[in-house]
Amino acid sequence: MKIETYKAIVSAQMSRRNLLKGAASAGAMAAVGGMVNSTMAVTAAQASSHLRAEILGIPGVGKGSPTDADWQRVGELCLGATRDRIAQGEFEGVELTFLGLNNQNLHNFLFRGFLKPWEAYTGAKINWIDLAQADYNPRLQQAIATGTVDFDIIEMGAPFEGETAGKGLLDEMPDWVADQIESDDLVDYLKPPVGTWDGKTYRITIDGDCHTFCYRKDYFGAGAIGGSEVPRTWQQVNEVTKALAGKVDPLTGLPAHGYLDPLKGWGGFGFYFLENRAAAYAKHPDDPAWLFDPDTMAPRVNNPAWVQAIQDVMDLINTPGAYPADQINADPGTTGFQQFLAGTGSMLMWWGDIGSSARTSDTSVVGDVVGFGINPGSDRVYNSRTGRWEDTYNEAPNMAYIGWGIYVTRRVQGDARKRKAAWSAAAHLGGKDISLWTSAYPSGFQPYRNSHFIYDEWEAAGYDRDYIEDYLGSNADSYNHPNAAIEPRIPGIFQYYSVAEDELAKGYAGQYGSAQETADAIAAAWEGITDQIGRESQIALYRAALGL
Amino acid sequence: MSGEEGGKLHVVTADHISRTRRRWGSGIVWVSAALLVAVMLLQTLDGIGYLSLGFETWRPSLYAYLLWSTCLCASQVMIRGEHGKRTLFVLPAALFVISMVVFPLLFGFVIAFSDWNLSSPDGRQFNGLDNLRQMWGDSFYWNALGNMVWYSAAIMVEYAIAFGLALLLNGQIRARKFFRVAFLLPLMLSPVAVSWMVGKSMLEIRFGPIARFLRWIAAEPSVDLPAPLYYIGMLSHEVGQWLGWASPSFFGSAAVARAMIMMMDAWTFIPFMMIMILAGLQAIPRELFEAAEVDGASRWRRFWEITFPLMLPVSVTAILIRIIFKLKLADIIINVTSGGPGGATDSVTSFIFREYRDRSNVGYGTLLAIFYLVIIVIAMTILMKLAERWMKPRY
Repeated sequence: MKIETYKAIVSAQMSRRNLLKGAASAGAMAAVGGMVNSTMAVTAAQASSHLRAEILGIPGVGKGSPTDADWQRVGELCLGATRDRIAQGEFEGVELTFLGLNNQNLHNFLFRGFLKPWEAYTGAKINWIDLAQADYNPRLQQAIATGTVDFDIIEMGAPFEGETAGKGLLDEMPDWVADQIESDDLVDYLKPPVGTWDGKTYRITIDGDCHTFCYRKDYFGAGAIGGSEVPRTWQQVNEVTKALAGKVDPLTGLPAHGYLDPLKGWGGFGFYFLENRAAAYAKHPDDPAWLFDPDTMAPRVNNPAWVQAIQDVMDLINTPGAYPADQINADPGTTGFQQFLAGTGSMLMWWGDIGSSARTSDTSVVGDVVGFGINPGSDRVYNSRTGRWEDTYNEAPNMAYIGWGIYVTRRVQGDARKRKAAWSAAAHLGGKDISLWTSAYPSGFQPYRNSHFIYDEWEAAGYDRDYIEDYLGSNADSYNHPNAAIEPRIPGIFQYYSVAEDELAKGYAGQYGSAQETADAIAAAWEGITDQIGRESQIALYRAALGL
Repeated sequence: MSGEEGGKLHVVTADHISRTRRRWGSGIVWVSAALLVAVMLLQTLDGIGYLSLGFETWRPSLYAYLLWSTCLCASQVMIRGEHGKRTLFVLPAALFVISMVVFPLLFGFVIAFSDWNLSSPDGRQFNGLDNLRQMWGDSFYWNALGNMVWYSAAIMVEYAIAFGLALLLNGQIRARKFFRVAFLLPLMLSPVAVSWMVGKSMLEIRFGPIARFLRWIAAEPSVDLPAPLYYIGMLSHEVGQWLGWASPSFFGSAAVARAMIMMMDAWTFIPFMMIMILAGLQAIPRELFEAAEVDGASRWRRFWEITFPLMLPVSVTAILIRIIFKLKLADIIINVTSGGPGGATDSVTSFIFREYRDRSNVGYGTLLAIFYLVIIVIAMTILMKLAERWMKPRY
């Protein structure tokens, strides 16, 4: 869970009603358990339910941020699966190196706490490499390019699977790990091909990512300035945004604005936001590919669907008052935190952080008027295979970045005991129960298992039911959408995004004659990158990433 | 002192170096050099796939270089005795510079003429002049170079302001010491902090104090105000409206965005030029001014005939150093505009940052950096030659 989410929960103190609801829920769960014939199953279910309730109480909603002692306690309580498979002291003398992030003092800081009881039990020792987010990509790229992989376990985003698994740098996940982490529980989009390469599984998922739609409820409804209905399509989003120009924001009394497009680059991450618009037009339900042609790697970014997405943005740029002033210099961080949360604009696409921060951030003024949904759809969808638009409603949530996972490198392959130790440590971090805790408390991770969406558990822990259902529901609906637009896990994917940001910036600044010219410039740059990295290998890896 | 013994004042002992010792001295150098060449050759052959010797890193070559360096240093003493010891004061430093500066620079040239994208499975490939050709047609790079001309030209304005401030602080003003420290404060701030404090906060369109102030100026005054204030308010309203301050935009257009970047950078570095000029001003003998005053020279004439000419060496030095600083401008741009809108504020360094870091295009990024280095070296050499000519006394 992102740290802002936790703060939201902390601010929603547990009420007597919620407490009673929680008790009732626990009773209901016990009743369900009683219907199972097998006594063993009942006992296991009860034990699991008890464990999940117990770890959700560490430190407890409203009890402040968790500390290292809490992380260690959660790690100790969730050690059952390890104890079932590993004998005490079995990895005595084994040393592992773990590379991960230190963002917001989370990620590796939690892993240290979680794994301390594991180290004590197994006898293994873990050495840590902590990296800031900004240093992570260059460090990983250089390690890969120079063949100096000096770590056994790595916390890594799925987009890098092409760079690592595709180059044989990772170790295939043993079958027993899949059993231990109960990988069947993952939400649909995180199941294979995500985490796999050429049919082999490499990833223990510990996070999920997607962009969801955030909107201002006070802009929409009977008599509201944005219309009676919340826009469902990007066409409606643009219509509403244009119509709002010149009106007054009902909350702040300042100029009203509609959708907030980030028009400035963000190290490649800004391209995800154009993808949100384009996904509805370009991601055809019958075709898993939407960025490149899987047979030739010819970019699709200059096909009519993508051009329409760019044109939509240009239309708003050319509509006076549609965007706030200086929007050309607004990156996603600005649109999310300085604009939407501060009461500027009424519609936004973002990761989970915005939805949760809305209620807790000191600078947020929209906490009581924010609603959530999935990525808006489109009245028509472009079929790249036929080269024609189809007049049918289409929606495609954008699974931007896919989320973090734990991977084991091939460095362990020469030593069976070390390999088992590495996978055991990774499996401990990716366990089903421990993941409930990381979803509920500040960890840097979003919910990513079906079992994370049992709202009764959250309510019993002290959450506000309506808020959780709205916020988490938008995540769940996106994750499990049959036409989700999945990130292509190919080498250099952020190179493509980065150069696209540069060309888009020129297009938005009016240096190209049209949206088509802008898209053509991006396509030309993408062709250059593909040729440089290697077209044939990119085609093979892209197809593997798509599961073709 | 051994002046009489050796005929050289700096030799303190008379060495009697045997032939055997000289041979050993030469021997260890040649043997270690042969070892170095052999190891590097084997590693190169292994690296290009001609041999398969299982080298995982280039450390063996490094160790061979260290061994050769040590032998070279030792041989100086073995062969040349006391003279060799004198060499040891410089030789290790020279070898260190060679290994840390010269060799990486040469390696940089090799990379610059390579196709090396870190994501490519093929690794580094020599690609001749392809990177140069790509650079020739890269509108982003030439645009950034063009921007650098604008940014560098702004130094003359910065210089004028810095000179003015230095003259003020050199005068007999109250709280002179306080102002000297106060004016230096921006220089003590990191440009990253400046870009966040000023670029991201004070210039924030909705809440930033500068934007609010401009909106206040452009606002229509209340009719309840007394007549004089109302008319002043109306005047400021009209002016503010004409200047577009009712809805200020600091980074929306190319010219304004570039000017804002220039101002933030200038605010940070004007104190640097100011303090150099101030130091120069304080070194001018007062007698010159007194003599000119006795001769009846006006303030203006004293400035142009005494202060400015005498300050030329300091001024030129300050400007040259400032140009070098300016050519490295990147942090404020990366933080505030990312080079936008549409590349209007891009500097060469910020563009290379994106090419190298965001796109892992190591070969092309290195070529751009090397080419930029060559331009800087040529330009600075010309500037220094011109400066030398300007600084020659006129009388």
